[in-house]
Amino acid sequence: MSQRQFPAPFVDLEPFAAWALATEGQRARKRRDSTMVEIQTFYDAILPRMDAILDHLNQLPLDNMPEESQRLLHLTLALAEVAPAVELFNQPLVTDGYDPERFIPQQGQ
Amino acid sequence: MAAVAKMDGWTPTPAKVWHQQHPELGTEPIPIEPYISQQYFELERERVFRKTWLNVGRIEELPKPGSYLVKDLPICQTSILVVRGKDGKVRAFHNVCSHRSNKLAWNQQGNCQNFSCKFHGWTYNLEGQLTFVPDEENFFDLKKSKLGLTPVACDTWEGFIFVNLDSQPQETLQEYLGELGETLKGYPFAEYSVERYSWSTELHANWKLLKDAFQEAYHVAFLHKRSIPDSFTGKSNPFAHGLDYKLYRRHRQMSVWGNMEHKPTPVEGLAYRSGTLIIRNDFSADRLPPGVNPTKDQGWALDLNVIFPNFFVDISEGSYFTYNMWPLAVDRTLWEVHNYFPKAQSAGQRFSQEYSKVLFRDVIMEDSSTLEQTQKVLASGAKTHFVLQDQEVLIRHDQKVHEDYVGFYKGR
Repeated sequence: MSQRQFPAPFVDLEPFAAWALATEGQRARKRRDSTMVEIQTFYDAILPRMDAILDHLNQLPLDNMPEESQRLLHLTLALAEVAPAVELFNQPLVTDGYDPERFIPQQGQ
Repeated sequence: MAAVAKMDGWTPTPAKVWHQQHPELGTEPIPIEPYISQQYFELERERVFRKTWLNVGRIEELPKPGSYLVKDLPICQTSILVVRGKDGKVRAFHNVCSHRSNKLAWNQQGNCQNFSCKFHGWTYNLEGQLTFVPDEENFFDLKKSKLGLTPVACDTWEGFIFVNLDSQPQETLQEYLGELGETLKGYPFAEYSVERYSWSTELHANWKLLKDAFQEAYHVAFLHKRSIPDSFTGKSNPFAHGLDYKLYRRHRQMSVWGNMEHKPTPVEGLAYRSGTLIIRNDFSADRLPPGVNPTKDQGWALDLNVIFPNFFVDISEGSYFTYNMWPLAVDRTLWEVHNYFPKAQSAGQRFSQEYSKVLFRDVIMEDSSTLEQTQKVLASGAKTHFVLQDQEVLIRHDQKVHEDYVGFYKGR
């Protein structure tokens, strides 16, 4: 069994650990490389857990949290990344949008 | 205006009111030629970009003595080095070695004690003076004191760094920014500039096409019908009419309405509970200076501030964003986008900022693809003019300001 990725109360989110990516560039790539079913499954799993997640994370210093909590924070940022796909476009990429490979986030954000 | 505000916060303005306020602009269609003409582009290079104050960065990028940033300006065929000296003063120079004109600093930014040219080791201090020349005794009458870096006029406004490549700028930065510069004073730029998210892209479109797209809201109901279906439009304001338009000598402002009945999506609602968003349903702008949200409307979303020639400072309560459009060729533009926020104090605020900037990014991806599609057919000759409505008055004003500088049609 692989090592636990998130704090103990959030063990149910372990199957989505691959979404816990540190930069916008990585999260945006994961969004465009995923199917809508994969995105929707992740969205449906994390959305009802967000209040508990933020309650947990908000008690920790943002710039100095344990690694497991840091990964959980990155998971919430992945929800922010995929939200427009689920809620607005009903497809991974912006409908009739610009090539995301050409719209480059700066400084590893 | 005497009209009564509707439920969603919109106080209607009479049709065609903005052009009536500015009869000098006329109402005729405006020519496409300035967007496709190589000759016009060359005039812009000489008469606009070499003569006006250009934003090249923010003061937070130069936190201490020795901090520098490099800004390549292909439109001016140069590179600019902006550096904070030992005395704390920010100076700008052409990033060009005095020996055989190699580009001196190659990094985009950094911190150093001095600048040493890669080619032959000529070395300059933070104030741009030439301090060391290897094999100096083999040069002829070399006067180091006269071979410093070539200075460029540099000044700051509200933490934004500007340069002017004119060897004798005709106005100070403050004079150049004029009334708009005064109007925005007091907006908490420093507080809101702690978290900065940036993107850049090389877009295949004339740089003025980009400017035009971001100084009108007529397109929002159509181009952005999926991404922001009811944030800037509503039952009583279906076409995103502006709250206010102000035209200055060369700059301009549009105050953008926000729909107070906007229904947030589930994740937007979460983000809204944790922090400030550009698009939300509660606008309380009490602490902003008088010139921001000039109509003091409850249904206020943001103000677009277009600073000639290529700088947008679009401000709301809790965050702001900027655009710099740098022409590379008549049909290519380097577009830099920055989205600024206050320091995130908690994970919830960090999440909120992430949602806000991701949505913002996705919205402008809709604009970007459209601009390239326009560019593909712009030089077809099918059309010679753009047809503008009242709410596109800023585009009309921009073309007039351009012509005032460029003089392309003068005497024709």
